[in-house]
Amino acid sequence: MKSLTHLLNKDVRLKEGLNACMNCGICTAICPAAEYFEYDPRTIVNAVQSHNEEMIQKLIESDTIWMCGQCMSCKTRCPRNNCPGLIINILRKISQETGAFIKSRLGRQQFLLVKTIGANILKYGYCVNPHSVIPSGHPEQGPVWEWIYENKEKVYERVGANLDKEGAGAMRKIDQEDLNDLDYIFTESGGKLLFQTIEKYSMKKAFELGFTDSKGNPDMERYIDYLQNEDDEE
Amino acid sequence: MNIKKQVAIIGGGIAGLEAASVLIKQGLSVTIFEKQNREGGMLNHWSKLFPDFASSNQILDQYKVKRNNLNVFYNTQISSIKPKDNKFEISDNCNLKFYADSVLLSTGYKVFDATLKEEYGYGLFYNVITSVDFERIHKSGELLKTASGKQPKRVAIIHCVGSRDAKVGNTYCSKVCCITGVKQAIEINKMLPDCEVFNFYMDLRLYGSKYDALYLEAQKRHKIQFIRGRLSEVSEKEDMSLQIKAEDTLQGRPLRMNVDMVILLVGMEADELNPDLCKQTNLQLDENRFFKSKNMQTSRCGSTQIGVFLSGCCICPMTVNETLDNARSAAFEVVNYLNSDAHE
Repeated sequence: MKSLTHLLNKDVRLKEGLNACMNCGICTAICPAAEYFEYDPRTIVNAVQSHNEEMIQKLIESDTIWMCGQCMSCKTRCPRNNCPGLIINILRKISQETGAFIKSRLGRQQFLLVKTIGANILKYGYCVNPHSVIPSGHPEQGPVWEWIYENKEKVYERVGANLDKEGAGAMRKIDQEDLNDLDYIFTESGGKLLFQTIEKYSMKKAFELGFTDSKGNPDMERYIDYLQNEDDEE
Repeated sequence: MNIKKQVAIIGGGIAGLEAASVLIKQGLSVTIFEKQNREGGMLNHWSKLFPDFASSNQILDQYKVKRNNLNVFYNTQISSIKPKDNKFEISDNCNLKFYADSVLLSTGYKVFDATLKEEYGYGLFYNVITSVDFERIHKSGELLKTASGKQPKRVAIIHCVGSRDAKVGNTYCSKVCCITGVKQAIEINKMLPDCEVFNFYMDLRLYGSKYDALYLEAQKRHKIQFIRGRLSEVSEKEDMSLQIKAEDTLQGRPLRMNVDMVILLVGMEADELNPDLCKQTNLQLDENRFFKSKNMQTSRCGSTQIGVFLSGCCICPMTVNETLDNARSAAFEVVNYLNSDAHE
């Protein structure tokens, strides 16, 4: 197997993201995630810079790399013009491609994203679509959401949107021709392959956890249920 | 009869003055062109010098004694140098022309404009000042006070403002700020013994003789705290005190701290008029916009134009002590040039 450093170097974004780090800590100082989580972008950059395979392996298997909100504040401050957020992006990609993400709770959430946002963008042309935000799966939307969901035709019309209809306006129906374009982009850019990879490793994890159906295949419904209720205290 | 050779010195700071005094002793005719209405340059703004707390006035006063046979044009901004028949024609911005056999540049530096680091709030928040402001306060003999006239209980001194920072286009180290930060921290403690002082640094670059002793003294006797981390931002609270954010990189933890005042250690930059002086000569600037030396190792005071020499902070950031040493070297390079066959 190729070294992780090799995989990192292969990604063109590393050149832009990492000049050389002098460990001043300004990225961590500006980072909103660092205030909230046990999270330190400086040490992540330092691990990548030092080509420390063991530390990089640990990172791609960790929750840490999924804590970044990709706000790129770090980029605005770094005195060496590095971009820690971009480096984290590359680590995420490697974690997805090598399957390391299934070893962390936040990493495993990738599967939920593929099934929701990933599916939505190809089906509707929107990452988030009113039809897909099913109330039972989204308690964060509050008690009114169920009513809105059930009366969405009237509600969206009332606020001036053009839900599911041809023509202009918010939440309008996306032309099949445009959806075909999107599909093509996701195929050519490797987006679909990445979805498949994430699905493949997630099935492996479901299998490991014993979520199988009567035929011995991974039961992804149960796996999703597991992910949604997975405790953050492991 | 031996006609005295003419040397034009551009800039009457300590580099120009020191070189002038050497050149006069060597029997040359020296004229200094100074853009301000007095000599001494930036040293006029400094109070006490590291590492021995010598008074800057003491150094400046020396030159008042050494002034014999020195011609100084004040309020004269030189805007061009032109080689002409083995001499140099130099013009000021009123297009008055002067002629000299050799030119010594001692145009010095300018202080980094701290308003460019908007996130530190200089010019926005009342209680954010620069190291230059602190020197002025110290020189006036007054105590450090907040904008509301109170004695600060907590002060943060921020290193590397405008230095080692690609975001402002200065990737070099200004070299004097770390030790200035240590010096000013001690001065604050002497002024206000109850005031806590924190230095936020990236690397402490205290390379000079006796500088580490000063660092030790700052920690041991004056209880100055040193935190390794670069500030991401300063924000002002309702009572005009300040909240600062950094990472304590040795602890690996983000840090927020409330302080009454922030002092920004502003770096040194090349003079903005340096490019003008290059136009009609072979003078070149280096990657940091200072004048390029003929050779980094063996001829720091030689420029890329034969007959034009460099001294002091127009070459790179220097301490007072280094500037004076360098100015004397430059003076001897001028003498050697004027005595050489190349010049005849």
